[in-house]
Amino acid sequence: MKRIACYAALTAVSLIPCLPAFAQDYSGRTLVVGTWGGDIERLLKEHVAGPLEAKTGAKVEFLLGGSGDRLSKMVAERNNPTMDVTFQNIYEAPSALKEGLVVAPDAALVPAAANVWAGMNDGCYAMSLVGLGIAYSKAVFPEAPEWADLWNPDLKGKMAYAPYPSSEGDGMLAVAARIAGVDESNPDVAFAKLAELGAPMLTYSSLDEVLTLMDAGEIAAAPMISGYVISNLENYEGIGFVFPKNPGPVLVRDMVCQVANSPEPELAQMFIDLALGVETQTAYAQQLNFGPTNSKVVLSDEEAARVINTPEEVDSLLQLDWDYVIAQRSDWTDRWNKEILGQ
Amino acid sequence: MNQTPDITPTTTTLLIAPAAVLMFGVFVLPFLFLVVLSFWSQVPGSLSLDTSLTLANYVRIFTDSYYLGGLWTTLWLSGFVTLICLLLALPLARWIVLHAGRAKGLLIGISILPLICGALLPTLGLVNLLSPLGFINGALKSMGVIQSSLPLLGNITGVTIGLVQAFLPLMVLPLINTIERIPRDYEKAAMSLGASPLVVWRRVLLPLMLPGIVAGSLLVFCAALTAFVTPQILGQGKVVTFASLAYQQAAMVLDWPFASALGIVMLLFLALAGLVGALISRRLARGS
Repeated sequence: MKRIACYAALTAVSLIPCLPAFAQDYSGRTLVVGTWGGDIERLLKEHVAGPLEAKTGAKVEFLLGGSGDRLSKMVAERNNPTMDVTFQNIYEAPSALKEGLVVAPDAALVPAAANVWAGMNDGCYAMSLVGLGIAYSKAVFPEAPEWADLWNPDLKGKMAYAPYPSSEGDGMLAVAARIAGVDESNPDVAFAKLAELGAPMLTYSSLDEVLTLMDAGEIAAAPMISGYVISNLENYEGIGFVFPKNPGPVLVRDMVCQVANSPEPELAQMFIDLALGVETQTAYAQQLNFGPTNSKVVLSDEEAARVINTPEEVDSLLQLDWDYVIAQRSDWTDRWNKEILGQ
Repeated sequence: MNQTPDITPTTTTLLIAPAAVLMFGVFVLPFLFLVVLSFWSQVPGSLSLDTSLTLANYVRIFTDSYYLGGLWTTLWLSGFVTLICLLLALPLARWIVLHAGRAKGLLIGISILPLICGALLPTLGLVNLLSPLGFINGALKSMGVIQSSLPLLGNITGVTIGLVQAFLPLMVLPLINTIERIPRDYEKAAMSLGASPLVVWRRVLLPLMLPGIVAGSLLVFCAALTAFVTPQILGQGKVVTFASLAYQQAAMVLDWPFASALGIVMLLFLALAGLVGALISRRLARGS
């Protein structure tokens, strides 16, 4: 009897590492997650932080702001990070991994990562797929424009851009390069072509700001990321959004990263696992029009029409060499300031 | 009977020590790091820093016409905002002191409101007022004064309006303080001797208000020189100021050494402004 009890105890001990991590009690511990505010924070609280807190007893604390601020924070806290999980743009993720700021994606640590479309986890885990398309004033464009239509001389100076550096700006440079017959590796041509559009009427700091002016026809068009614009279209009858075909829209990804050497690596992996899970990814698609990266997500035809959600759709998108683009950041920022804004 | 305890040098040192340690830790050390960082450089195409000392960042600032232009815009814009604030604050402060009566406290409270509620909310409110579809353009259009919207955002006009709105209290408060100390008899005496109101202002009031004018001008100039939120939002990326350039380099390009050098140059100009203010104040004190 004693021997059986001993075997039972040994078996139980040996099985502990196989138990799901969240079966442990993490009461009194705090997971710090850096992300964007607004709808993204709301969805993450609802579908990720809430369930994680309920399962583990840990507290999830959100740190809101821009992805650049978070990257700065990771660099500054390189030896003693206080943030466990961070949401970054695709152009920041590969360099963050190269600098050793984040942990490489690994399905052994985050099981849901195995369901992410192949090739999407670049630097960090791919959280959502969106494309850079054209938001346009229907008063200016009765029919959905192609990229080349923006170069109509009558529209010079009637564009709006996001602040640079940004995926919108880099994407627009890549488009301009292709309109001129080259690609973004030829920045002289790209900047010269983009400069033909004139200085922007507005460098916008909020979506409402640009959409209100576009709705009134004061701004002709703006290269914008699909998700938020599509979500807002119902509020602005005078605005359309299109994914152009020549070249295709520029693929932009939001990435979720586990910060290297963070205080709570296990909680961070659990958080990311829930974020990549079907429930969260479905909510992102339904409520934000952000394409799911999890291949197991099933959307209705209507929902699927508003998002990028298949490998075929991804293949049709223009993918930039972000490693190259990010390496040009300082130089291109100077050029953007002088050649695009300072015309 | 209460006795005041003897204050020895040791007691003074002990009393000052906590604040001194705090200041050293949270201000002096980071400032020294900022200075050192400005002489480092960013490894091209990387987030890593090259810690060998170089003047490259300062050379870039003072040889690149774009950054020199940004510096020049920031300086003259700060001077212009200071002048507008002065012109608005002089009559306002005098009116509050002489005529506001019981409403004086309330008016001072209202005038310092922009300082209390921070830069962001009033600036966003101004966007709604000044935008092409905003209140001002809408009102002018509906009155038939203009046909198409006036450009009040994305240019110096918009940024000046925003900065004046934000920093007017910094001019009004020192002026109220100065004007309150000027005996009304001086003005009456000057007028009884035949001085016109203009001459009274020029020969009597303005010289007596000079300490307040210098203090207010220094505060507004320095605040405008380092302002970030208002030029960033109302300038819509088209009005380049040193603070917005430093933000872009620090938070978006992540070139901290260059951003530090921009910050140090801005601090040098702040120090220069402070020095000029101190010299003028000293001269005024000698004169009086």
